[in-house]
Amino acid sequence: MTGYLLRRVLQMILVVFLSAMASYAILNLAPGGPLAGLRQQTQTARNRITEEDMARIRAYFELDLYLPIRFSRWLAGWPRGPIVVAGTEFFANTPIGCRKNIEGLYKDDKGNMQSKVIGCAEYVYLTSLVARRTSDGVIRGDFGNSWRLNRDRPVTDLLWSRLPKTLLLAGIATVLSLGLAIPLGIYSAVHQYSKFDYFFTSFAFAGTSMPTFFFGIMMILLFSIVFKNLGLPYLPPGSAAAVRDWTMPWFGIVAAGSTLDRALHLVLPVAVLTIISVAGWSRYIRSSMLEVLRQDYVRTARAKGLTEKVVINRHALRNALIPFATLAVFTLPALFAGAIITETIFSWPGMGRLYFLALGEYDYPVAMAILFIIAVLTVIATLIRDILYTILDPRIRYT
Amino acid sequence: MADATKVATLSAEAITTEEQTPTQLVMRRFRKHRMAMFALVLIAIVFLISLFAKQLSPFEVDELMVGKYFAPWGDVDEATGRVHYMGTDNIGRDYLSRLVHAGRISLTIAVFSVLIGTIVGMAVGAYAGFYGGTIDSVISRFIEFLLTIPTLPLLLILSSMLIRNEDLIPIPAPILYGAGKLMLLAPYQARQGVLIILIFAGLGWLASAQLMRGSTLALREQTFIEASKSLGATDMQVIFKHMVPNSMAPIIVEASLALGGYIVFEAALSFLGFGIQDPIPTWGNMLAATQTFMLDKPWLPLVPGLPIFICALAFNYVGDGLRDALDPRLKK
Repeated sequence: MTGYLLRRVLQMILVVFLSAMASYAILNLAPGGPLAGLRQQTQTARNRITEEDMARIRAYFELDLYLPIRFSRWLAGWPRGPIVVAGTEFFANTPIGCRKNIEGLYKDDKGNMQSKVIGCAEYVYLTSLVARRTSDGVIRGDFGNSWRLNRDRPVTDLLWSRLPKTLLLAGIATVLSLGLAIPLGIYSAVHQYSKFDYFFTSFAFAGTSMPTFFFGIMMILLFSIVFKNLGLPYLPPGSAAAVRDWTMPWFGIVAAGSTLDRALHLVLPVAVLTIISVAGWSRYIRSSMLEVLRQDYVRTARAKGLTEKVVINRHALRNALIPFATLAVFTLPALFAGAIITETIFSWPGMGRLYFLALGEYDYPVAMAILFIIAVLTVIATLIRDILYTILDPRIRYT
Repeated sequence: MADATKVATLSAEAITTEEQTPTQLVMRRFRKHRMAMFALVLIAIVFLISLFAKQLSPFEVDELMVGKYFAPWGDVDEATGRVHYMGTDNIGRDYLSRLVHAGRISLTIAVFSVLIGTIVGMAVGAYAGFYGGTIDSVISRFIEFLLTIPTLPLLLILSSMLIRNEDLIPIPAPILYGAGKLMLLAPYQARQGVLIILIFAGLGWLASAQLMRGSTLALREQTFIEASKSLGATDMQVIFKHMVPNSMAPIIVEASLALGGYIVFEAALSFLGFGIQDPIPTWGNMLAATQTFMLDKPWLPLVPGLPIFICALAFNYVGDGLRDALDPRLKK
């Protein structure tokens, strides 16, 4: 088992490294990024942006370094200067980037003039990195500074400020979903072909096909807008707390930022998340329960004269939950990543919305940090799942 | 003794039930699934509407009726006598025309993503399963990892990068022209659709590759495969004559569920603003646009939202029906 675990951990590190490299490349290969708007400004604004300004801004975002060097500095905070071995500097004058590009004009296939980098006027060398600000690297827990959303503040601060909100929302939703999905799935399976079962399976089917964004909008429409227009007590449609006190018909004034206010803001997003995952999970539990109920050992338990309650709870349920437990492990990365769509619709200040904003605002360090943590959590969840298999099903052994 | 011979000469047809081909069997079982049949009819209607999108829409997709913002349903354009059957949107574009064209675009994207993804996935899966070895273990580890990563963050990052930098991936002009014809768009507009198809197919092949690999591994040990090999069948013959037909059932089910999934994903991407951008109509960006006016016109989001929901539901029902019909053992 130790050997197996060791091998798995090595594999996990490799997988995380490769996926980080891939997502870093995707984000950085594309032109534009934080410099996208600058080009247009140089042509129109009175205070022109000079080549020197451009080089300075590129250096600020590290965009003047070649991709592998940039990636290595992001991942490990290295290199920070010439490589020194036994007092001797190596590669001090190897170009590792280009400070000022030479751009040539060419005609594209539509006949428009386009500019293209054709050479380098001024290189960046390892020695010039000494003076630069460098992050400690992702492997030491430093994700660098945010580019846009929280300019020049560490990404980690941004993540820490959003994480509690996401954990609150996703945590409540997950606990509620588990609490509802398991009993509903079991009841529906035990009473297969009953009226409840028919009603429930159609509900669950509609729920799994329901696009989250449409469902969320419908909820806002009904419980916030229509209820408000009708003068009924309504629920706030967005954000985590009100900015100023608001009046709820029939109940009176809700103070901004009070516990009641926060709780009311939670209701709609939690409801959307819960209903959608209850639909999916309970279908899963129902089908695995149905499968278990057909097994010989359940018939044996009944033949022994055990009460139906004991048969269901002790003999059937435990086995029916094995596949579900392994599935539920993957809520770990999902909990962290937050519900991107739900958080965006309800303007919930959590991780999912942060990721959405980071992509929209070209804040790549933030997006990269979230992607990286998702990848790490995913491989950890996979490992936990495989270990859970051996605990829940002793027939499985890893060597 | 002569009487005995008269007794029973029942024809074979009378005592045996008529022989049915596997296809007939599947069709019969599928027809029993009432919701799936209903869903199939719905899908057929949606397909027909999008097929005749051009004929059904009275206006051009981006034709602006200046001054006619949020025209009511059935409003008549005095100059030409054409009717805004579903009114106009916030900048005066005919709603019905946009809705119908959006359907055409969504369906084209979903169908082509599924086609490309399934074919690539089957090829990779068959190769990995049939030849095994290091390539197989690398490919299946890779697939396993990508399948466990939450899909939406991945889709968002890919589409936000590619849609904003449309020229990053060179797409041959004939493909753009063809895609434009299919989606009723100008070739330069079709680029966005093609990119979305590439992204979906790029993530979609994983599932069908895993299914194909699994069934290839199981089939490889079967005696009829051994028999055909010993009769001198080449690898290609074994794969195409035996492996592929015998693995189709779960892949077809997966594909029909994926069709609904891609319609929803495409709408979600456009809704979040990282998918197909506004002058091109899609249900997703039309729904996003209604959010601003929801307070005054609460019924507005229903118009582009319901088609998304109905398509997703219908494809799921068809997938469910197909699963029951193709493999009764899987019936839950």
